[in-house]
Amino acid sequence: MLRHALHRVALAVPVMFGVLLIGFMLMQIVPTDPATVRAGPTATQEVVAAIRAELGLDKPIWVQFGLYLGRLAQGDLGVSIINNMPVTQELATTIGPTVELMFASLLWSIPLGIFLGTVAAYWRGSLLDRAIMAVSVAGVSVPVFFLGLVLIWFVGFQWQLLPFTGREGPLWTWEGIRAIILPALTLGGVLVGPVARMTRTAVVDTLSADHVRTARAKGLNERLVVLRHALRNALIPVVTLIGLQIGFLLGGAVVTETIFSWPGVGRLAVGAILSADFPLAQGTIIVLSAGFILVNLIVDLLYAVLDPRVRQG
Amino acid sequence: MSGTTLDDASAPAAPARPSALRMLLRDIGGAFSLILVILIVLLAVLAPWLAPHDPFATDLMAVMEPPSARYWFGTDGQGRDIFSRMLFGLRVTLGMGLASLVAGGLIGAVVGFCAAYYRRLDGLLMRLMDMLLSFPAILFGLALAAIFGPGLTSVIIALSIATVPLMARIVRSAALVVMGLDYIEAARAIGMNDRRLIFRHLAPNCLSSVFVFSTLRLGQVILLGSALSFLGLGAQPPTAELGAMAAQGRNFLFIAPHISVIPSLGIFVIVLAFNLLGDALRDALDPRLRL
Amino acid sequence: MTRFWHRATLGGLAAMGLALVAGQAQAQPRNQITIMREIDADRYDPHRSTALAAGEVITMLSDTLVSMDYDMRTIRPGLAERWEVSPDGLTYTFHLRQGVTFCDGKPFTAEDMAFSLNRWIGRTTPRVTSPVAWRAGDVKEIRASGPHTLVYELNRPFSELLPNLALFFGSAVDPATVERLGDNFGVQGFNGTGPFCWQSWTPRNELVLTRHPNYRWGPPVLQNQGPAHVERIVWRVIPEAASRVAALQAGQADLTQFIPDAFIETLRRSPNIVISNQPNYLWDTYLGFKVDRPVANDIAIRRAFHMAVDRPAMVRAVWSGNATPARGIINPTALDYYAPADELVPAYDPAAARRMLDEAGWRVGPDGIRVKDGQRATLTLFAINNLVNQRLGEIIQQAVRQVGIELRVQLFDATVAWGRLASQDFDVLFLSYPYISASDALNLYWHSRSRPTPNRMNWNNPQTDRWLEDGRAATDPAVRAQAMANLQRQLNEASAWMNIAHNNLNLFANRRVEGARAHGLYGISIYKGLDLRIR
Repeated sequence: MLRHALHRVALAVPVMFGVLLIGFMLMQIVPTDPATVRAGPTATQEVVAAIRAELGLDKPIWVQFGLYLGRLAQGDLGVSIINNMPVTQELATTIGPTVELMFASLLWSIPLGIFLGTVAAYWRGSLLDRAIMAVSVAGVSVPVFFLGLVLIWFVGFQWQLLPFTGREGPLWTWEGIRAIILPALTLGGVLVGPVARMTRTAVVDTLSADHVRTARAKGLNERLVVLRHALRNALIPVVTLIGLQIGFLLGGAVVTETIFSWPGVGRLAVGAILSADFPLAQGTIIVLSAGFILVNLIVDLLYAVLDPRVRQG
Repeated sequence: MSGTTLDDASAPAAPARPSALRMLLRDIGGAFSLILVILIVLLAVLAPWLAPHDPFATDLMAVMEPPSARYWFGTDGQGRDIFSRMLFGLRVTLGMGLASLVAGGLIGAVVGFCAAYYRRLDGLLMRLMDMLLSFPAILFGLALAAIFGPGLTSVIIALSIATVPLMARIVRSAALVVMGLDYIEAARAIGMNDRRLIFRHLAPNCLSSVFVFSTLRLGQVILLGSALSFLGLGAQPPTAELGAMAAQGRNFLFIAPHISVIPSLGIFVIVLAFNLLGDALRDALDPRLRL
Repeated sequence: MTRFWHRATLGGLAAMGLALVAGQAQAQPRNQITIMREIDADRYDPHRSTALAAGEVITMLSDTLVSMDYDMRTIRPGLAERWEVSPDGLTYTFHLRQGVTFCDGKPFTAEDMAFSLNRWIGRTTPRVTSPVAWRAGDVKEIRASGPHTLVYELNRPFSELLPNLALFFGSAVDPATVERLGDNFGVQGFNGTGPFCWQSWTPRNELVLTRHPNYRWGPPVLQNQGPAHVERIVWRVIPEAASRVAALQAGQADLTQFIPDAFIETLRRSPNIVISNQPNYLWDTYLGFKVDRPVANDIAIRRAFHMAVDRPAMVRAVWSGNATPARGIINPTALDYYAPADELVPAYDPAAARRMLDEAGWRVGPDGIRVKDGQRATLTLFAINNLVNQRLGEIIQQAVRQVGIELRVQLFDATVAWGRLASQDFDVLFLSYPYISASDALNLYWHSRSRPTPNRMNWNNPQTDRWLEDGRAATDPAVRAQAMANLQRQLNEASAWMNIAHNNLNLFANRRVEGARAHGLYGISIYKGLDLRIR
């Protein structure tokens, strides 16, 4: 177990290093002198020079990279070119909404996906199975923005049922819940298909496994067999695969946030890139990558905890 | 990463069957999707001859018109024919997908072969691939757009990079199985040269896996690429690209929904066609491959 | 685990169901008004920002010496109750209103006003540089000569000083807060005399203002002089046009001026939307040429643009009929507009454009693009990336291609665009701008001293400079009008600009709100927000 964990962590380190290198590169191509940006438009020459020295801009590039890592360790991601706000501060306000949106999307799409997958596996080959699989292929193929635009057009605009203009408040408030429904439906909508497909495969596999057959032979109620044995065992690979879907979810989140004006990291990242705000772009990319690596690591370790075979392997 | 489960699942190349095509056609979904894919490719290739209007010509007297006999899919905010733009957009979208699939696929295949053939490199190469794999493609897209500026090139590079590790895994596991077969060992023992061995025996036996993977991947790549264009990080106006068209039309969603809905629907159909075809191909060629 | 999922699903579904049931309920708290806009400002400092996004909020946060009436010509009292101008036009004495306080309760004095104006023109330390300091005139000295008397001395007369002092750049700010916040003034906080006070700001998302409870000194052009009826104002950034439209209709937000013209017809038919139009609005969209660059320096090319582009049809298409196609360089409703000059602007006639280019030596090359002396008729256009510019760019590109001119369109996100537009790397640009009179517009763009920005055309003509200075220093309106007429004739004849559209200003309000009247000074639709009230 410990070996497995160490191995995973060891793998994450160079990946994170690569991310930071990209982040550093982004800071290198800032068209204007970062010291001038940091100093603000009214600073005198001396102030700029002092900041240059402080940032180590007069030192060789590898020393600069070291200094950059040092500043990162202190939570200093630089200052946005556009509004002179510390990038860390901008990120702090946007991470919450992104996590919120992802959570809300997973909350409904994963149970639904697992449910559909189990149903399809249980009656595999039936018309129901085919219908569910057809829907899930469609779900895998639909562009997130298409789903979002359709929901906005009908639910938001034609029927005026729900807001779609961004976050209205935290999730424990009424407005907050109403405002997150459409974005969460959009983002979750593209997850149901893959989850259903994965669950179906996993359940089909376990249904034919030995201990399930034994349970059946013992004359256990069929529904109990599925719920207690097959689904439970199938959930282990499903949970990990869901971990892998986080990448997919992230991609969807960037688009969903943009369509719904959701004040999250994804929308911030796109805005920063389009406006060539390199420090901010760097910050958003580092945070998104780090978050992704962390989630993957957790899922991986969780997997090891759930499944004894991995622990030994 | 837990993606290593793929290795266990991906299976040897299917033993030669009478006709994969016949098997594919026996499946209704497969036949349908094959026809659809052929149709899409034909439309893209023949775009200049099929398009009823110049995709860039602006008709200021017919702005944001709904579909009609003159403009089959209506006109956009600049009075351009959406149908013609979609035909040309299909070229850009497909081209973007193919370019990144070929570039990423080739590099990935080379890496996969090397890992399988030169066992000493295996650990290193596959750890490298694991690292690449631990990144969602959207992050490559964002990072490259940030470095090189938004544009089709950035998108293609990003999607290629994201394809490399996937292809490497597929090729490696397919190649490993072939490597285990007796006649390869024999060929090696008699000192057959590496290159010949790879091209004569290894490559052909990996083809079906690669083929199935490529078809499915093309759908995913198109979906991702159009999403990046939709965000403004990909194709730039006035280029006709389906994702970019949908993005521009979004501004008029409530008055002229067709401007964004029709191109989005187009992407949906294309990706669906490739996904269905990929599924059907897998069932026909390589049933145990899980992607 | 299954049980967990079970519960989670049920809980989630129940929450969604409940939320759906409450469908039509108002999402807005009582006595709060939400105003929507497309973009945020980089900061809210009147002496450093020039953006409309900054101005529309600063007008609420603070006040200016004088105010502007809805006719866009008459100057009314503001922080100054009354004023006197010396006969030579060099000394203005402003008598300030008594009992005015800042948001933090501190009394407002002439010293504070002098500090604010001096800060605007870069005469305080640390020095700030406003790109529009020239609007304050050629200042000799601005000083307080008593607790409520301000003396404003000029080196040369400036006939349009008062309208310029009504713009938000001359807003009063609290010197102590400026000193305390330093570079972060207008980012982390603000302290002004306005009807609303700074509460919080999350950049690119929302800015919250609360009512200034003791405010009693609103300009006489408004019905309510204070305090404001509304307790809280939320300025929310919603970049998606479609989202703004729907939010307004659904009552999730109350006000906005940023509605794409294509939607106006729909909103006009909507029973819960009230539209206020400002007929005296001066905001033009133009295409400018760098007159010293190869190709663009040829007047035949510039005239060909005018003749190749069907401006009335283009304006109808792009603005859906909600803007007036421009002919000459100045809006006919502006002060000192000179109609005969418009006759000098070439009209739409692509065939004539082709003939003219042929005669000028521009021969059509094999790819359809004209060439003269080995020089291809290729021009690069820079502009801000927005919907109007995207559409204009693609339409004009297509139109000039028909007469053999290639236009390469490069649009930049607003934040980058200003830097790019200050460079010399392009030949053509689109911009749109507000102005208060012909003299204001022409002084802004055409003086040789204004190069490289805002005179991005690189227009350098001694005669132009002389007329501009004559008009600026004139104490007799007739002298100024004559100078402006000469300028309009000269510039229209040279085709250095293709003026495209005179924009309309519409303020859209949900029926929940009353008292929303479009003002439009420098593009700002809601002036102070004192009359706004929940119905």
